[in-house]
Amino acid sequence: MAGWNTLPLSIEEWTAIAAAADQEEFAAYRRERRQARTRRLLTGLVSIVVLLVAWEIAAVLLNDPVILPTVTATVHAFLHYLTHPYPAQAPPLWWDLVVSLRRILIGFVIGVILGVALGAAMFANRVIRHAIDPIIEIIRPLPPLAFIPPLIVWFGIGELPKEVLLVFGVVPIMTIATVAALGEVPEDLRLCARTLGATRRYTLFHVQLRSALPAIIIGMRISMAGAWTSIVAAEMLAATSGIGYLISEAGDYLNMSIVFAGIIAIAVIGLVLDALLRGLLLIADPSRRS
Amino acid sequence: MGKTFRRGGRRTVALAGASLDVGAGELVCLLGPSGCGKSTLLRIVAGALAADEGEVTVDGQRVAGPSPDRGMLFQSPLLFPWLTTKKNVLFGPLAQRAAGLHERDDPELEAGAVGILATVGLGGFGDAFPHELSGGMQHRAAFARALATRPSLLLMDEPFGALDAITRSRMHEFLIDVRQQYQTTIIFVTHDIEEAVLLGDRVAIMGGRPPGIRHIIDVPLDRPRSTLDIDTDSFTAVKRKIRASLEG
Repeated sequence: MAGWNTLPLSIEEWTAIAAAADQEEFAAYRRERRQARTRRLLTGLVSIVVLLVAWEIAAVLLNDPVILPTVTATVHAFLHYLTHPYPAQAPPLWWDLVVSLRRILIGFVIGVILGVALGAAMFANRVIRHAIDPIIEIIRPLPPLAFIPPLIVWFGIGELPKEVLLVFGVVPIMTIATVAALGEVPEDLRLCARTLGATRRYTLFHVQLRSALPAIIIGMRISMAGAWTSIVAAEMLAATSGIGYLISEAGDYLNMSIVFAGIIAIAVIGLVLDALLRGLLLIADPSRRS
Repeated sequence: MGKTFRRGGRRTVALAGASLDVGAGELVCLLGPSGCGKSTLLRIVAGALAADEGEVTVDGQRVAGPSPDRGMLFQSPLLFPWLTTKKNVLFGPLAQRAAGLHERDDPELEAGAVGILATVGLGGFGDAFPHELSGGMQHRAAFARALATRPSLLLMDEPFGALDAITRSRMHEFLIDVRQQYQTTIIFVTHDIEEAVLLGDRVAIMGGRPPGIRHIIDVPLDRPRSTLDIDTDSFTAVKRKIRASLEG
């Protein structure tokens, strides 16, 4: 029988060679991910430029600022009304943005906290799950906007009904996302933490909820998109401030460059908020970093 | 020791008549086909499942639940993907400190983690995340994490089953080397006869209906072994004996 000494390399030598190979493989992997990221960003940039050029050409050919203002006119209107009030008696565009953003953040944060807490409770307790699940399933497919009339009757036309509306939209999505995310955590991962000496409580917070966090943040991104849709629509129907109100006012006077300026403002803020959540996702899930 | 699962009025005996003594520093392989109760037995020893009949004792202590004294390695490395390799290794010591099991400070724990990573050949990868490591490196990191709590017993549930043959062979050499260094007692679940003979001091053959331990076969080969021993006559003889026992 061949013994230990006939191995061509000692364990130390073997380990050193394997480690050197590993290091090289590792550096190549990181380089490749960086290059893939640059390619992806460039492609995206080109596609946005193409879209803007197509819009500009269409607007110039149509030559009717009520149907479609040019990109340049829209940008001009955006920059002008960012600091100048429209209509004359109202605050400037940036103020409407702040008002809408404040409503979004309050409703969103409350909705996320309630949704995650409810989802965790449903995951941990079967009775709670079976009691809450049908309610969530009934509310989930309802468009939040259908609740505007009763909310106005109950809470008036101030800030409260808008925030409640957002909470209504965010909670079901976050609850479902949280239950699903916790359900996806492998049972063996929990066992693994327990055999490493973690208590049940430590395992729940440091392993199960932590492991579910990326999927919960993806739920937040979906909720955020829905929250923007709801708030702008609510402001167009029943408000005297906010970006939705501004768009609705400008639309009544067929001032399309301001309408488009408002839409661009929503798009930009939506992108920024989503980018923040994506940043959060990168912090929570290192495997998404490139 | 026995275990019966009851589900919807139907009873499934997952394990019956499994009795096994494992000596300190010994490596015993549980070998058998799927559904032979080997994973059930391992999980009862880990404390993740409770036995209906009989009991498990480790160092005279009766097993009542999962404990860091009994480390576990799975088919998938199950590293925490949000932690770097070093922080994965530190998870056990930090969780134990949070539970009040020891009072070692951060620099001491850190030094320990760095040392363990070096012994598994991951010295330069403390700050890398699990997804940046190859399959074999992930398994070595999981090994380091399990060793960091200094378990007296290591339970391995088909740990290399998902690896390609070459990486697997490297992991076998690695395990033999780690065993030399740490003298840890190991129960190793596998369905691969060759793996069982290469690694085991004894091989417990599992199977039957209801499932249990059928035979326990000694592996009378010199140690430490290496993958180069696999094609020798004495190695083949043990394999043949185990195969006969599995079929008989």
